[in-house]
Amino acid sequence: MNFFKRGLQSVWAKKGRTILLIAVFSAILIFVLAGLTIRSAALVATENAQKSVGATVTLQANREQAFQQGTTSSGSDSEASRPDPGSFQSTPVEIEDAQAIADLDGVASYSFEVSTSADAVSGIEAISSSDTDTSTDDSSADANQMGGMPGGGMQGGEMSSGDFQITGVSTSAAYTSFSEGTASLTDGEGITAEDEGTNNVVIESALAEANDLAVGDTFTITDSDDNEVEVTIKGIYETSEVGNSMSQMFSFLNPANTIFASYTFANTLSGNDGTIDSATYTLSDPSEMDAFVEEAEGMIDTDTYSIQSNDQQYQSMLTPLNNVASFAKNIIILVAAAGVIILTLIVMMSIRERRYEIGVLLSLGESRAKVIFQFFTEIFICMIFALGIAAASGNLVGNVVGEQLLAQQTETTTDQDTTNAGPGGGGGMQQMGGNGGGSFPSFTQSEEIQSLEITISAEEIGLLASMGLGISFGSIILSSAGILRLNPKKILVS
Amino acid sequence: MTLRTEQLGYWYQTEAEALFRSVDLTFEPGKMYAILGSSGSGKTTFLSLITGLDTPKEGKILYNDETLAKIGLREYRRKDVSIVFQAYNLLPYMSALDNVTTAMAIAQSQQTDKKAYALANLAKVGITEELAMKKVTQLSGGQQQRVAIVRALCCEHELIVADEPTGNLDETTSKDIVALFQEIAHEQNKCIILVTHEQDVAKACDVVYELKDRKFSIIESVK
Repeated sequence: MNFFKRGLQSVWAKKGRTILLIAVFSAILIFVLAGLTIRSAALVATENAQKSVGATVTLQANREQAFQQGTTSSGSDSEASRPDPGSFQSTPVEIEDAQAIADLDGVASYSFEVSTSADAVSGIEAISSSDTDTSTDDSSADANQMGGMPGGGMQGGEMSSGDFQITGVSTSAAYTSFSEGTASLTDGEGITAEDEGTNNVVIESALAEANDLAVGDTFTITDSDDNEVEVTIKGIYETSEVGNSMSQMFSFLNPANTIFASYTFANTLSGNDGTIDSATYTLSDPSEMDAFVEEAEGMIDTDTYSIQSNDQQYQSMLTPLNNVASFAKNIIILVAAAGVIILTLIVMMSIRERRYEIGVLLSLGESRAKVIFQFFTEIFICMIFALGIAAASGNLVGNVVGEQLLAQQTETTTDQDTTNAGPGGGGGMQQMGGNGGGSFPSFTQSEEIQSLEITISAEEIGLLASMGLGISFGSIILSSAGILRLNPKKILVS
Repeated sequence: MTLRTEQLGYWYQTEAEALFRSVDLTFEPGKMYAILGSSGSGKTTFLSLITGLDTPKEGKILYNDETLAKIGLREYRRKDVSIVFQAYNLLPYMSALDNVTTAMAIAQSQQTDKKAYALANLAKVGITEELAMKKVTQLSGGQQQRVAIVRALCCEHELIVADEPTGNLDETTSKDIVALFQEIAHEQNKCIILVTHEQDVAKACDVVYELKDRKFSIIESVK
């Protein structure tokens, strides 16, 4: 261990060189540590994002297959090979099938959804901004057949565009508008599983105000067969959605005219029984999504139905995080490489000045390895001090750099999302189709990606220390190799 | 211990410019040898060969009938030979005492209290404890020379080779150092080889070789 003592003596004797090495090493390690912590924080944020967004799987009619069937049956002739617009057949989902999937392990909650429309009869009048009432009489309603419209009444293939869009759900709280915060209850209660088989509804506050309705009041609407049905207001909600130009023309497209009810009631209105438009399952463990989808697909006819995993929002959240993690990785590589070069140059200059010392030690019979270990000890001591400085300040630097990077990345991603959405994009579909068409609300940045929790862990310090050791050893070997291969006489003479 | 050279030869550029060739010398324990020669004759080069700092161009060097190549030059320097350089070759960032104890540690000296042993030997050559604690760069040339000599002595090797060991010393100290070498050679049965150009130092040696015209020749031998 004599080399260790010599190293200590050298470090103490040459304080200027030691301080320079500590300063350079600190600068290198601070940036490496910042890179490590940013990368680590990005990975943690990714996990949190996955947990916060969760994973949902939607069971619905296989629209793609429905179109393909139409194409195949049309023959080989070019004109005939085009899909017949009238051939599209969408099969509603059997509740039995949906329930069987809901019973699988890993399902935290589920929601069945049915959309239909209804006309006002008494006690209520739809919100309308146009003098032209498109739906108050049966004839005008019949004139507005909405075949294939993703909004009201997918089940029959054709529907009447009524005064109201009736959105049948298992629980209103699980419905996208409520879970995403665009809609919230202001009075009464939402739709729950207990409302199955009842005529309870939740209406929009503007609709309630316009008709002077409150929780507990009743009003009458008609079903698809023009049968009058009395419903009871269980709750009143408020929505931040605003209608578009289409909602000016069709009352049921006005967000205020969306009425939530149990899916069983929506089925009653549409005249269908035992079927739903779609079922959405929320999984308890997002990482099990693929396995769940595989198992669920084994239980259904995939030609008729499709199971779609929804990690679009998660993937969108990942983009800035992945960019930050990738950038952090590049920082680590670049700084480590630059660190090796800078330190090697400094150590090389230092060792060149110490040729004489090397010659003396070798002439005394010291081994080359121990001479290298002595230099390594000196660098190691500097590294320990630098490690302390980096650990103390790396958190600060990591936070500053990380936040800056994330802010830039998030801004870039948001810009791209906005550009991609374009006019009349997903937002319109959302309003027209609710959740029934499988569309998803436009992505909003969540807390998890607007800030990174950058903290230094013992693991990162350990990783940094091993990188520092590697840098030290590499620089020592590179800089001393040229001198140590000479014999002592040549070193001393030179 | 015996050190022998057999047909030893060395040159830097070409064989024709050899410093010496066909050198057959034997060095035995209990004797002090002097190697005389003019400047540039190759004395220091010969010293670097017999101390394992360099390798000969021809011939071989045997220590206890084993070639240095077989022993290993580093092992030979560490275990068997101590060198006193003309330029002292002390480690500048260390004290005089640390220079001595460092060499003892590298030589794996069996002394249990290296510090006390080093201080005692430094005192013998006039380096007090106060001086011993100073960095060698703060000592005079003569003091550094004495530290270098003590460093060689404290390693307790069988063979001590010194290049102009008294070159920077005053007459009195020079005599003391030569007396110390004699004592070590005769009483501790070590082999001392001094490369010198000083006749007084040479006269104190048991055997004197002169390197002249590429050949070694005995000038004086003491029974």
